[in-house]
Amino acid sequence: MTHASWPHRLAALAVTTVALALLRAGSLVPLRATAAGDSVLRLSWSARPERIEQCRRLTNAELAERPQHMRLRWECEGRFARYLLTVTIDGQVLAADTVHGGGLRHDRPMHLFREYAVAPGQRRLGIRLRRIDANVRPDSTSDQTAAGAAAADRETREAQERRVRRAEALPEVVALDTLLTVASQRVALVSYASGQQKFVLRTHD
Amino acid sequence: MRALEHTALRPLRAADAGATRLFGWRHNPLHQTGALAAALLGLLIITGLYLLVFYRVGAPWQSVARLQADPFLGRWIRSLHRFASDAMVVAVVLHAWRLFAQARSWGPRALAWTSGVVLLAVLFVSGWTGYVMVWDTFGAELAVGGARLFDALPVLSEPVRRIFAGDQSIPSAFFFINLFLHVALPLGAAAGLWIHLSRLARPALLPPRPLLYAVFGALTLLSLAAPSPLAPEASLLAVERDIPVDLFFAFWLPWANALPPWLAWMGAAGTFALAMLVPWLTRRPRTGTWTPSVVDERQCTGCNQCPQDCPWDAVSMVPREQAHGAQSTMVARVNPVRCVSCGVCAGSCAPMGVGPLGHTGRDQVAQVRQAYSNAGARELRPVAICCEHAAPEYLAALRDRDADVRLVPCAGNIHTSALELTLRAGAPGVMVFTCPPRDCRGREGPKWLHERMFNDREAELQVRVNRKRVATAVMAWGDRPAVLDAWTSFAARLKAYDALSLGQLDEPLGALCEPVPLEEPR
Ligand code: HEM
Ligand code: SF4
Ligand code: SF4
Repeated sequence: MTHASWPHRLAALAVTTVALALLRAGSLVPLRATAAGDSVLRLSWSARPERIEQCRRLTNAELAERPQHMRLRWECEGRFARYLLTVTIDGQVLAADTVHGGGLRHDRPMHLFREYAVAPGQRRLGIRLRRIDANVRPDSTSDQTAAGAAAADRETREAQERRVRRAEALPEVVALDTLLTVASQRVALVSYASGQQKFVLRTHD
Repeated sequence: MRALEHTALRPLRAADAGATRLFGWRHNPLHQTGALAAALLGLLIITGLYLLVFYRVGAPWQSVARLQADPFLGRWIRSLHRFASDAMVVAVVLHAWRLFAQARSWGPRALAWTSGVVLLAVLFVSGWTGYVMVWDTFGAELAVGGARLFDALPVLSEPVRRIFAGDQSIPSAFFFINLFLHVALPLGAAAGLWIHLSRLARPALLPPRPLLYAVFGALTLLSLAAPSPLAPEASLLAVERDIPVDLFFAFWLPWANALPPWLAWMGAAGTFALAMLVPWLTRRPRTGTWTPSVVDERQCTGCNQCPQDCPWDAVSMVPREQAHGAQSTMVARVNPVRCVSCGVCAGSCAPMGVGPLGHTGRDQVAQVRQAYSNAGARELRPVAICCEHAAPEYLAALRDRDADVRLVPCAGNIHTSALELTLRAGAPGVMVFTCPPRDCRGREGPKWLHERMFNDREAELQVRVNRKRVATAVMAWGDRPAVLDAWTSFAARLKAYDALSLGQLDEPLGALCEPVPLEEPR
């Protein structure tokens, strides 16, 4: 019997068919994906932590000693605040830990992405992000009137910039406490809307 | 490592035997997985260009769904693209397996091996981008799986996974980058193939036509008969239950989902590093079987044949430094870094001036003399010269059929003068058993031997040798009947011929070429 005989041809055809079927099967293997579980609570946001600063108002004499391009009336030293994140479902604590800004020195925005498996049904969801580090008011003991109109103008601008930065940052507390219907095979997404400074819950695309 | 090579060889030989039984050695797909992979890459580029016309980065899934809804071309070309890429993964893995098992992964082949590993990695990444582009549930799972792994690296402070959180729509820039990579990587792979094959002379980039048509035809039939369905569009706020996963490309996904990302990375990096280190782990000292070929400049006549026959372009002609008598101005020189010690050059040199130590034409002639030195008046049997890699299991059966079996490292080594001398010494005939040509470890051994014996290629078998008394046959593992048939009919032919020409000298010119077709008979 050579490979050109009919039984061989049929066997070759059968083997080719099986190989093709295996190829197709291997290409379409149903996989139960996502290790997270049946339904998922997802927290995902980027937000700027508040800057905790110790500021000192320079005297006119000190200011005059600085090079032109470094004449800032308020000299601040500080770091970005840490926050305590607590996540509870029906009173049961899923997470209670410290979160902070990104980057090695934690001076970048806080980028958070977390997923928790939750059982479907009606649940009470609590999420709270509370600043841990106390803020420090600017030290204004060395107050002096600004020398000249230009300097006064700059000082106002500096104050304004600090205010804007504080307004863009996370407030002292952001919280969400709500009744949530967790549907099977769905994700409940909590993100942070920086404009309104609050958490937003979303369950549908 | 040697033990591992041997272990890898066993299932390969079993599969080879099965495939040869079914399809015959000429069309055994396992013998030409590299060429099949290259041909499939070509098919992928062609079908991919068609799909590219319809793909929209602004509405990825919808554009694929439109293709899928087209019952004439769109649906099956999409399926063909998918199944051909799966087949390519299979072909490349088998190709690497084969070369590893046959100890063809080190020394001068290290560049081919390491570039092959990179090509395989590129193939996987292109597959990843291709599936993500579709943006069905599988695509999203791959994207999230990939992002999860990427986020474990200290590269970006913002996790990539946030893109797929579901609070914002995915920017089309993401799909654009995917599309760009999906087009650029395969084109890069095609360019990488050039590096992969840079050390080979005349690489076989296509399998024989019948096999090529059969493979493309089978994949087309599969695409027509059972096209791949399109999974639902990805929803980032859904937890999918049954995702149709292509395990040829996403075999890593279940592990990556189950393991901590750092472990998954360690696994991937470790596997890649190990694969890249294979040439180092399998290397041999260049002595004995593995000594590089050398040119005996006193014999070399500068005929320029060995550079043409060397399958690894390891020989070049250089100006002669010392004039030995009145010989040529040019002389052959072997670059030992490129020489794989296949010995094919030994058979190419009429004056027997080149070859690895112990395998030159002169060595072969000396071995024949030695073998027949004390033959005396005993009746000599026909000789079967067999490549030692072909099918050692069949040698006993040949001996049972009265063959005087000799082994050679590769049929391409055989110098035609050694064949002639064997006949002159009194052997009634010589049959050379080669590996299937596409499975020759010397790449072109059977081809050149055949040309030298029957088609007057330089270092040819002299006209004075009676072609009735010489023959070649393929000894394919798995095709024992053909091997024994070839031998018995050759032996019968010799007997009949001897009976006819009893007491007369052979009439050489009356019995010219009787070539055995190595390619598909027309
Ligand atoms: C895109 C994927 C690949 C393609 C299209 C491909 C194609 C080829 C082709 C056509 C040949 C020449 C065969 C010949 O004419 O003798 C070859 C040789 C070779 N390939 Fe690949 N290959 C691929 C991947 C790989 C991989 C993943 C490896 C190993 C890890 C590998 C290792 C080799 C080696 C070592 C040779 C040289 C064989 C020799 O010198 O004897 N290749 N490849
Ligand atoms: S043994 Fe001869 S033919 Fe083979 S690679 Fe070396 S030089 Fe080329
Ligand atoms: S085949 Fe022989 S004679 Fe011709 S170039 Fe090569 S070594 Fe020299």
